[in-house]
Amino acid sequence: MDILMKRITLRLILTSLLTLVCNSSALADSSDDIVVVANVSHEQATLTREQVRNLFMGASVGYQLYPVALPPQNRTRSLFNAKVIGMAESRIQSYWAQMKFTGRLTPPEEVRNEREMLAYLTHNKGSIGYLTADTELPEDLVVLFSTD
Amino acid sequence: MTITGRSAFLINACLAGGLSASLPTQAMELTDNFEFSGFARIAAGFLDSEDKYLDGYTNDISATQQSLIAIQPTYHFTDSLSLTSQLIAHSSEDRDSGVEWLYMSYRPSSAWHIRAGRLRMPFFYYSDSVDVGYSYPWMTPPLQVYNNYLFSTFDGVSASYFYSGPGFGLYLEGYYGNYEGDLYLAGGKIDVDAKLTDMTGLVMMLQRNNVALRLSYHSGFNRTTIPQLEPLINTLRQYNFNDSADSLGSDGDVQTWQVSLSYDTPLSFYRAEWVHTRTPFDLASNFSGYYAMAGRNIQDWSVFLTLAGTEYKDVNPERELPPPSNPPATELDQLSAAYYSVFDRTPNGTINSISLGTRWDFRPQMALKAEIGYYEENSERSGYFDTPTSGSYLNGSDPEKESATLYQVGWEWIF
Repeated sequence: MDILMKRITLRLILTSLLTLVCNSSALADSSDDIVVVANVSHEQATLTREQVRNLFMGASVGYQLYPVALPPQNRTRSLFNAKVIGMAESRIQSYWAQMKFTGRLTPPEEVRNEREMLAYLTHNKGSIGYLTADTELPEDLVVLFSTD
Repeated sequence: MTITGRSAFLINACLAGGLSASLPTQAMELTDNFEFSGFARIAAGFLDSEDKYLDGYTNDISATQQSLIAIQPTYHFTDSLSLTSQLIAHSSEDRDSGVEWLYMSYRPSSAWHIRAGRLRMPFFYYSDSVDVGYSYPWMTPPLQVYNNYLFSTFDGVSASYFYSGPGFGLYLEGYYGNYEGDLYLAGGKIDVDAKLTDMTGLVMMLQRNNVALRLSYHSGFNRTTIPQLEPLINTLRQYNFNDSADSLGSDGDVQTWQVSLSYDTPLSFYRAEWVHTRTPFDLASNFSGYYAMAGRNIQDWSVFLTLAGTEYKDVNPERELPPPSNPPATELDQLSAAYYSVFDRTPNGTINSISLGTRWDFRPQMALKAEIGYYEENSERSGYFDTPTSGSYLNGSDPEKESATLYQVGWEWIF
């Protein structure tokens, strides 16, 4: 009986530990997730990953949105590159060099950090940018896409 | 550019390199409406061969083949209307320095873009950015595709549309224009006066899940004069060998097809491209080029392996004239010898290559590159190794399969 109790206790401890580990990794994941937010009306449809990617690479999604980016080497930008654009920073830079010096497209407006991003998005109608999922958003910004 | 000009260019370029740490890495906005950006590269290389040259390189180390500096001023009249120019100084004698571009740009909506003026030809994936070394991983995009293109700019109009639906991205571009100037074939500039009219082209790029398929078709009417061949063509006509005369002429349609596939992930990148051109020259009537490249990103570094090849087809003379007797005895023999020797001297071989390259994006807007490439002819006289600017081999030169290794290093900067 003792042995059985010990086994049950051990299993409980292990299960609790496992849950804790899983939860903490889930917590870590949530700050690794990206939300794409825009200063648009609440009726605006959401966007797919493909649309967000192409929008930040210069395409139109059928209505006027002005993408705003964080600077290279910013952690949120690296997450956005990995999870949404799907390219390394150097390849993205090469792409924009090609677009710019062939006169086809210009890269998105760039702000210095997440705080400036929030301020820019809040003050510019039609602007769209990305932040980590744990960012507290003002009411007038709408989430159009999330990697969650 | 004279030797003095080249030295001055190099000194300036080196100074630019040395000062790079203090130079801006972003486009400069001089006023609210005027923006100024540009790019520069210093590229050096050598070919490990005593008697050949490839892409301008010999076995003496040279930094004057691919080095260049360009500035791109843009004036914005309104948010949707602007005027852009691009001025380039090339270190290579094969490339003309000056105004590469001058066009008006109008964006009526977020998807549409209309341009008019002097524009770059969007033949292949990297054709319009071939001078912007920062835009691709190689030191030089595969020669078999990118040094076989006919010319780099045109005067005309272009309209493009870039839209993303929920599951795909679509880029469409159409253009119409004319071109007058030099021609590039088999890796070098050839000494002709080219004139192409009624050029039209359509480029389509479809994208989904970071896989991009680019298809394009280009055509135009060609009226190129090859001054060295004119006397021969006239004599052939005098003797009524009109088919033979026509076979050396170049009036007719030029068509180019292109297909490429690219795939990117955060850790790797892949490109493959095939191009085919058909011209009215019987001397270079059908040629193809292709490459496949796979690369790996390791933080700020990338390494990549490229295989490339080319193929010439249907370089065949007319058979109107009897083969000349040896030595030529009559006037007809001499004419026949002259006619057939043009075809004997024309590049019609194939060349394959394998290259390994690396690129280090050591700071924003700058990269260092190094590349080693082994080039081997699978059939003699590919035209890539030693064709003079006349575009043909010298009489009596040995038709042998050749090979050599090309070493290149470079520094790329955009601002």
